[in-house]
Amino acid sequence: MWCIKTSEKEKLLTALKGAYDFRDVSSSDLPPKKLFFPEREITFTHLVKDGSVTTPPPPRKFVLYGLSLRDLEAITCLDEIMSAPEKDYYYFRRRRRALLIGVTGEAFDVPPGGDIIISSIDADTSKLLSVTEKGERAIKKHLPRLKKSKSPQAVPVKNDTMPDLRNLLMDAELLKVAVEWSWHGYKKLWEKLSRECLGCGICTYVCPLCHCFAAEDSVALSGDEAVRCRRWDACTLPVFARLGGGEDMHPGLRERYYNWFYHKFVRGYLEFGRSECVACGRCQRDCPARIDIEAVLLDIVSAYSKSAQRRRRYR
Amino acid sequence: MKNIYEPVTAEIVKVERQSKDVLLFRLRSKGGVPFGTPKRGMHFTPGQFMLAGVWGYGEAPFGIASDPYETEYIELVVRRVGDVTGAMHLLEKGDTMTLRGPYGNGYPLEFFKGSDVILITGGSGIPPIASLIRYIIHNRKDFGMVHLVYGAKTSAGLLMKREISKWKRKIDVTLTVDGPECDWKGKCGFVSDCLTDIKVNPANTVVAMCGPGPMVDSIEQLVNPMGISDRKIFISMERRMQCGVGRCQHCVTGRKYVCTDGPVFNLDEIDRNWD
Ligand SMILES: Cc1cc2nc3c(=O)[nH]c(=O)nc-3n(C[C@H](O)[C@H](O)[C@H](O)COP(=O)(O)OP(=O)(O)OC[C@H]3O[C@@H](n4cnc5c(N)ncnc54)[C@H](O)[C@@H]3O)c2cc1C
Ligand code: SF4
Ligand code: SF4
Ligand code: FES
Repeated sequence: MWCIKTSEKEKLLTALKGAYDFRDVSSSDLPPKKLFFPEREITFTHLVKDGSVTTPPPPRKFVLYGLSLRDLEAITCLDEIMSAPEKDYYYFRRRRRALLIGVTGEAFDVPPGGDIIISSIDADTSKLLSVTEKGERAIKKHLPRLKKSKSPQAVPVKNDTMPDLRNLLMDAELLKVAVEWSWHGYKKLWEKLSRECLGCGICTYVCPLCHCFAAEDSVALSGDEAVRCRRWDACTLPVFARLGGGEDMHPGLRERYYNWFYHKFVRGYLEFGRSECVACGRCQRDCPARIDIEAVLLDIVSAYSKSAQRRRRYR
Repeated sequence: MKNIYEPVTAEIVKVERQSKDVLLFRLRSKGGVPFGTPKRGMHFTPGQFMLAGVWGYGEAPFGIASDPYETEYIELVVRRVGDVTGAMHLLEKGDTMTLRGPYGNGYPLEFFKGSDVILITGGSGIPPIASLIRYIIHNRKDFGMVHLVYGAKTSAGLLMKREISKWKRKIDVTLTVDGPECDWKGKCGFVSDCLTDIKVNPANTVVAMCGPGPMVDSIEQLVNPMGISDRKIFISMERRMQCGVGRCQHCVTGRKYVCTDGPVFNLDEIDRNWD
């Protein structure tokens, strides 16, 4: 932990800008996942003439600057998703080359992820925390004369994005049970949401944790070359679960939209012991149908609690 | 870091027409590398699948139809229904395909041992069952009565007929077509109609199925009246697949991934799924 003045911070950033590709995402609307898991990427190129198969080269080392605490948490969680059951080659070759720098005014006890976190204390001072060895090395290399210091007192800023959902996420097990119950126990809600949702997929694209993808092959017009790509897909889109013969396993928006919740709060919990959501607020902000998942989840949990009480009373 | 999406190249050493829209491909991996690491002499477990593909057209999952003890090649039986399978149907002997796998769990062979086995399938659901039959015949004394019930709309839609006539020496076989046909010596009617003729001891019988959606839907009505519990009925499920490794989310059903937890599930597990 170090205390640095704005001039030192600028010096560090200038040095990093020289040494790495520097991506400032502090005012980006899109989730940081796109830097490790781009919207569309070529995975293989196949040349017809010699039958060779190649993978495009990985990117240069880069700095991802300006991540919020929730985005850092999302990346930590996505790292885990992309490791199970085996490491995802394309994700991790980018991830390994990235230095993650969080920037926040919020207080935190345990850093949720990243390599370095810069917390502002006042107009001229920031707290510089190295989270990983990689972060520590980068700081020592570019600001060699910095002295370690005790944690200074700062007045933390409050994050007012989705505070209620943030609270709900503390009890991932309750969310899991309530969402699973709601499919049969609160049918009315899913009927209503399936009429409201446009099935556009935006909520999944802007979510820092959604990671559905599709493979897409194409042949160059000349016929000399074929490429295999992977691109973001969305479980709310119409053909997501359609079989080759035409049968659709999730034919309606009701199943598809519920599946989005089911994955995040039920299957995600069963696989990783947590909800696949960090309450970043993007899906709420960007849904053209103005569906607010925070309100939906509060509604589900309250309906579930009432029904659980009712069941207890009549037992 | 290993690239888990990178396929191997396999050469087509034989193409055999099975019906109007179904071809059998025998594939040998280029350079002679066998498919999968053998476990107890088997290169895969019957019921497992491969992701086979054609560069430029994509990959799709196919149950392996050949003998799991065969080390030289594998066989896939491919029905033409869309882009990937359409591209495969243009391939000839000497051409190549891409292969990844084997993936999935396969049928629970150890659980089957010592039991009577009823195998039920329809149309192009025969490949994984074919592989299972080959396994059973290889280990014939480990199993009791074995009965295959295989149906199709018409006799032209019944696949692997030559193999089936060989299997008849080792297991019971009932073939059925939906409607009456000239010169047809098998049964007429749905697979379900034929099941009533099979006398089994439900306490010691397991069922393995693979079939088109509607047939799978009627399974409970088919087999439960015989007194066989849901936990002894194993079905290979079909879902859309892209990655094969439990990540892309296309194949999910309820709590499970068909690609990694399946494709074979018992009926009790399937009944618990919300979708
Ligand atoms: C476990 C399992 C075992 C199976 N076993 C068999 C079997 O033994 N025999 C058999 O005939 N069928 C089998 N099937 C069904 C078979 O997988 C489908 O028929 C097949 O996926 C249809 O593919 P298609 O491209 O021809 O159809 P389409 O309807 O065109 O597409 C279906 C799938 O192919 C992908 N696809 C299509 N075009 C492209 C492209 N340009 N680039 C990348 N991907 C593309 C799609 O994304 C989609 O996933 C099995 C299915 C499963 C799940
Ligand atoms: S952004 Fe809104 S309308 Fe679009 S799929 Fe998501 S919930 Fe439905
Ligand atoms: S709030 Fe919405 S966009 Fe953000 S992590 Fe949760 S589900 Fe994803
Ligand atoms: S095929 Fe991708 S998760 Fe199963």
